[in-house]
Amino acid sequence: MIAQITLNNGAKASVPAAEAEAAKTEEKRTLMSAEPGNTYIIKEINTDDDEMNSFLFRLGCYAGEPITLISKKKKNCIVVIKDGRYNLDQMLSEAIII
Amino acid sequence: MRIAFAGNPNSGKTTMYNALTGRNEKIGNWGGVTVGSKEFQLKKEYAGDKEVIAVDLPGAYSMSPFTPEEGITSEYVRTANPDTIVNIVDATNLSRSLFFTTQLLELGIPVVVALNKTDINEKEGTKIDAAKLSKRLNCPVFETVSTENKGLSEMIAKAISLAGTAQEAPYMQADIDLHDKNAVDAEDRKRYSFVNGIVADVETRKTLSAETTSADKLDGVLTNPIIGILVFAVVMWGVFWVSQAWLGPLVADWLVGWIETFQEWVAGQLENSPAILSALLADGIVGGVGAVVGFLPLVMVMYFLIALLEDCGYMARVSAVMDPIFKRVGLSGKSVIPVVIGTGCGIPAIMACRTIRDERERRATTMLTTFIPCGAKIPVIALFAGAFFNGAGWVSTISYFLGLLLIFLGALLIKGITGYKYRKSFFIMELPKWKAPSLKFAFKSMMERAKAYIIKAATIILICNTVVQVMQTFNWHFQVVEEGAENTSILASIATPFAVLLIPLGFGVWQLAAAAITGFIAKENVVGTLAVVFALTSFIDTEELAMTGGANTVAATMGLTSVTALAYLFFNLYTPPCFAAIGAMNSEMKSRGWLWGAIGLQLGTGYTIAFLVNQFGTLFTEGHFAAGFIPGLIAEAVMVTALVLIARKVRAHFDEQYTLHKKTAAKGAAA
Repeated sequence: MIAQITLNNGAKASVPAAEAEAAKTEEKRTLMSAEPGNTYIIKEINTDDDEMNSFLFRLGCYAGEPITLISKKKKNCIVVIKDGRYNLDQMLSEAIII
Repeated sequence: MRIAFAGNPNSGKTTMYNALTGRNEKIGNWGGVTVGSKEFQLKKEYAGDKEVIAVDLPGAYSMSPFTPEEGITSEYVRTANPDTIVNIVDATNLSRSLFFTTQLLELGIPVVVALNKTDINEKEGTKIDAAKLSKRLNCPVFETVSTENKGLSEMIAKAISLAGTAQEAPYMQADIDLHDKNAVDAEDRKRYSFVNGIVADVETRKTLSAETTSADKLDGVLTNPIIGILVFAVVMWGVFWVSQAWLGPLVADWLVGWIETFQEWVAGQLENSPAILSALLADGIVGGVGAVVGFLPLVMVMYFLIALLEDCGYMARVSAVMDPIFKRVGLSGKSVIPVVIGTGCGIPAIMACRTIRDERERRATTMLTTFIPCGAKIPVIALFAGAFFNGAGWVSTISYFLGLLLIFLGALLIKGITGYKYRKSFFIMELPKWKAPSLKFAFKSMMERAKAYIIKAATIILICNTVVQVMQTFNWHFQVVEEGAENTSILASIATPFAVLLIPLGFGVWQLAAAAITGFIAKENVVGTLAVVFALTSFIDTEELAMTGGANTVAATMGLTSVTALAYLFFNLYTPPCFAAIGAMNSEMKSRGWLWGAIGLQLGTGYTIAFLVNQFGTLFTEGHFAAGFIPGLIAEAVMVTALVLIARKVRAHFDEQYTLHKKTAAKGAAA
């Protein structure tokens, strides 16, 4: 996992397609382990909560869609979904697989 | 005819509604300001000679509600048959907004799209081809800026003219089994790809949303767990300081002068009338109501500052930074918004809890949010700070921060009682774009609330003061109470039994008990009643007196030391709020048990805080416990026992429920 991050860092290429390619090689990488400033393609949303899943869907946050990580703290992160910025807590960002 | 205003949260529906109707409904730069539907007639200039009712609805992302306030919107557009729907679309986030738009278009009701916030798009270089969008959606599209009244008259004229026509949907959901989750998902995906197709066709962006901007750097700092919370504390302290220690009192002093002049004038006019009439009018009504109105500037300055905060976009950041702390005590980051709104008034604060999704979190926030002193409690704080503590600013600061602390402790207590088990509680909050707060809107909001305050003073408080004055003047035989026999008055005999209970708190005299009781009708009454029962004609003068060192006359008349005064102040601040707020709590909680729990918790908290302050304060200043220490301890023991019993009952019930759900819980853990 750590190696992968360094690789992403070193490459500095934030082309969504490339990120998606990189993400494919990984097992269940969540938003929490992503690098700020990069755009990723969502692979899976896994909140164990149907209503929450469909709520996220309506914001445009669902498998196949891009998501950009703007900044990240220990307990929360800020992302861009479609054209809106959102603050997510740790639990939610761990449920977003990229 | 009726026109419904629907759209995503924070797209500017209420701002547009206010502009079109001339109302002054609450607005703010975050999603979820409007939590109930409101309706009013359109202004003549927009409606012409027709009678057109505009209906403002809470924001919704889709027709399937997620939080209670979203449900109000989908329910309304589905069942209330409005003649036209104005769909307010946030032009800065077209791709998300159109999802809901396409759903509204399916209802068959004519839809007009108001492409709002186009000024921001202009600034950012985003272009939307409105003509093309209109064609693709099969409905009229107007570019609007509701903060500047731009494009509104054309838009609303079209909306009015469309009434009675039928809407043809550009996209129709296939006939599917709505219980089949996969089918619904697939349909929603199709809808989104339809929307994405339109957006790609009509929108050109100069700056991509995903680029990191300077605003993002600011957000990074404000959501930092240490700096962000410090900034919030400083901002709130600044608001309280400016409104209650600096600018507010400055204006208040000036106003108080005028009120006194008026009171003297009234007394002068009544010189030749019976003493009772003069006492009733000059001291009771003008004095009592004047005492309350005199504090209006403090309240107004605070409303103005809070409105600025709400308008700039800071609230969403506060909510985000406070989420981890609030989560730890079993609340959510969204609980912060009711708390901040609660500094103005508890009723909108209680209603704002609707945006909290989890029922337990929502009810707990409803229960606790009024621990933050509201605008009506400001006169009480200011009076005591002035009369007993030389107008010290720390009294108000400590009142607010103690309120916040009580919210945390109360939340922990509720968490303990309800046997809260670990459950996934997600937090997502849209961070709206920053904007310069509008002084005009803040001023309007301030004047609106000042008006409400004056109306309240001239109605409820006036009536209460008159009743208190009459009850104090007469005894049960309707004879005028003689001097020296004040204890025989109606008021005294009613309040005395309550006063006994308050002895351990250090203020067991009937006058203070009566003031606290009238406070449940409206908290400003505490000040008004004190002015009446202690017959301090120039009671409102306390601020000036404090400065000249004469506040002691007030302090001495009330028979309170600084310790017991603080205890009395806290008692009034943290016991249940006014009846109106309790009513709001009742309708939001929809549960007798929770409501009584809330009232009990608040009574217990107010009592306990006052007890601790009085007993330990006295121990500290005089070296011994105050009177009634043992009875007070017994009262506390009774409360703790009640708490334990309730907790046991609730937990037993919870366990029952929990066993029922064991299967799903196990499944969840396995996944």
